[in-house]
Amino acid sequence: MSNDSRQPLLSVANLTKTYVQGDVASPVLKGISFDVYPGEFVAMLGPSGSGKSTLLSILGTLLRPTSGHFFMLGHDLTVADEDELTQFRNRNIGFVFQYHHLLPDFTALENVMFPAVAAGLMQEEEAEHRAAKLLTRVGLGNRLDYKATKLSGGQKQRVAVARALMNKPALILADEPTGNLDRVSAHQVMELLGEINAESQTTFLISTHDAEIARRCQRRITVIDGRIASTEAASIGSEGMVTA
Amino acid sequence: MRQEIKIALRYLLSSKLQTGLLIGGVGIGVLVFSFMTALINGLTQFQIEQTVGSIAHVTVEPREREPRIIKADPSVQLLAAVLRDNTQREQIRPWQMALDTITADPSVRVAVPVISGNGLVTRGQAVQPVTITGVKPEQLSEVAAIAPAIVNGSATLDLDGVIIGARLAKKLSVSDGQTLVIRSDRGRERSVKVRGVFSIGIETLDERVVYMNFKSSKALLDLDNGISRIDVKLTDLNAAPALAEKFGAATGLKSTSWTEKNKRLFDAIQGQGSTGSLIKFFAIVTIVIGVSSALLLTTVRRKPEIGIMRSMGVSKTFITRVFILQGAAVGLLGALAGSAAAYAFCSLVYQVARRPDGTQLVPVDPAQGAYLFGILLATAASALAAILPARAAAHIDPVEAISQ
Repeated sequence: MSNDSRQPLLSVANLTKTYVQGDVASPVLKGISFDVYPGEFVAMLGPSGSGKSTLLSILGTLLRPTSGHFFMLGHDLTVADEDELTQFRNRNIGFVFQYHHLLPDFTALENVMFPAVAAGLMQEEEAEHRAAKLLTRVGLGNRLDYKATKLSGGQKQRVAVARALMNKPALILADEPTGNLDRVSAHQVMELLGEINAESQTTFLISTHDAEIARRCQRRITVIDGRIASTEAASIGSEGMVTA
Repeated sequence: MRQEIKIALRYLLSSKLQTGLLIGGVGIGVLVFSFMTALINGLTQFQIEQTVGSIAHVTVEPREREPRIIKADPSVQLLAAVLRDNTQREQIRPWQMALDTITADPSVRVAVPVISGNGLVTRGQAVQPVTITGVKPEQLSEVAAIAPAIVNGSATLDLDGVIIGARLAKKLSVSDGQTLVIRSDRGRERSVKVRGVFSIGIETLDERVVYMNFKSSKALLDLDNGISRIDVKLTDLNAAPALAEKFGAATGLKSTSWTEKNKRLFDAIQGQGSTGSLIKFFAIVTIVIGVSSALLLTTVRRKPEIGIMRSMGVSKTFITRVFILQGAAVGLLGALAGSAAAYAFCSLVYQVARRPDGTQLVPVDPAQGAYLFGILLATAASALAAILPARAAAHIDPVEAISQ
């Protein structure tokens, strides 16, 4: 896929992150640079401890880099203050984590509505309507009023996907989104992410060390020992899915 | 704010046992607070009623006369002893103007002219020194709480009648209707009948005081145009010191408040109040520590959820509000329950804890539990107690929390 003519959604330039504990400095990211374009479905591959999660946390504005810059939607997020980052995150970035992290005292519907109503982006009625629509889209239209604790693992992760989509973010960061699921549920969730990407052109950056999942993505960025080892584009398979 | 309230309530409802214990803890704190307030206030009122009920709130008397010192030569060191001027009798004369000035003040419930002097009471060979107090019959109850303390006869003061204390009656072996002879320190003598015998429970009053008709006492004590003092009762006891000063300035007479005359009692009441305040303070501190520590535990337990909220772009202010609302809700519910329990407990003690004669064993006053103040204070204290956990929650690192 050639992206030269398009503006990148996310642009990472020479990003580093070093954790310091006492006198010991542990560099985790050692100069990462790459771009992600609107509508892309990108896998970030790499073994455990390679720095994928740290990179995702930085790109999700949850963590500040030690040096370097990254831009999203034209904003240099390395210089923004905490309140700006909080607001930017709420409006533009969705998260899907390995563990669903749903609010256990809330129903599926309330969990999905939460990012919009907590930030005052939507009126409750409007948020409820959109959340119900999203839950129906992820196949849980008949589980709207189920408490999060009453759902299965795969269902919880689908609620988490719907929640990530609630504020219509430009980018969804998924950190091992199927890591806690059985094979069937993992397959369903990845199918769902792929379909949403295709339908709404929402950009996905998915961290995984599962080669099977990576094969479903349009592009694979491999991170090893805090550096980008390779960037590899995939071709479209006969079934319309992206293949290696 | 609606979302914050929703989450705060869900958090509280999801841990019913913890929330119940927390509310119970606050409730006990408020129960102690309100019970102590009702007890201390009841005790203070009881002590004041026992003492001040029998005395004037402000006493206006003649000024002590002092001889004028002739201005000395500045080069000479003056050595002088001030001697009391006994050339004239101490009395308020004319007294009606002073009485009108005092009565005109809206803080005054009643101002009573009183004749007072010393004398001896005799019956047969028995002789007892007494203080003669002459008052208008209709104002007797304003000078002293005699009527409810009558144990024999009645509280009537006709021209020939006197009311005496039970100890004096016993020493003279007299009762209602019997005759006594009173001789004043002015050398006048009068035969009177005992109309009533009272027992207040204060030895000096029960043994030394003889109440007499105002007109009769004037003649007996040779005070045709003057009176000994004006006893003033106020609508607000606490205003006595300020009003005493005011009356002194307005009348030119010596004016003394009950707090000054009963300084030891006043100090004891103040000390009692301070002790009560200390106990109430510790009750509130207990509430603060309890709420704060329980919410800190909630913070730890909810860490991943708070982390995910932060990752979704929920502000620190939002998280802070959730925890402060939890504290305030626990405080309010606990305080309401504690206040209700305190009122019920105070009422029970008020009704049940009584001596055989019907007087209170524990002078608690259920109406003086400062319940509204207790509710507001406990709610505010609980909300404040939540600030520390709220800050801890707001500063949770979402990356660390999510990775748990």
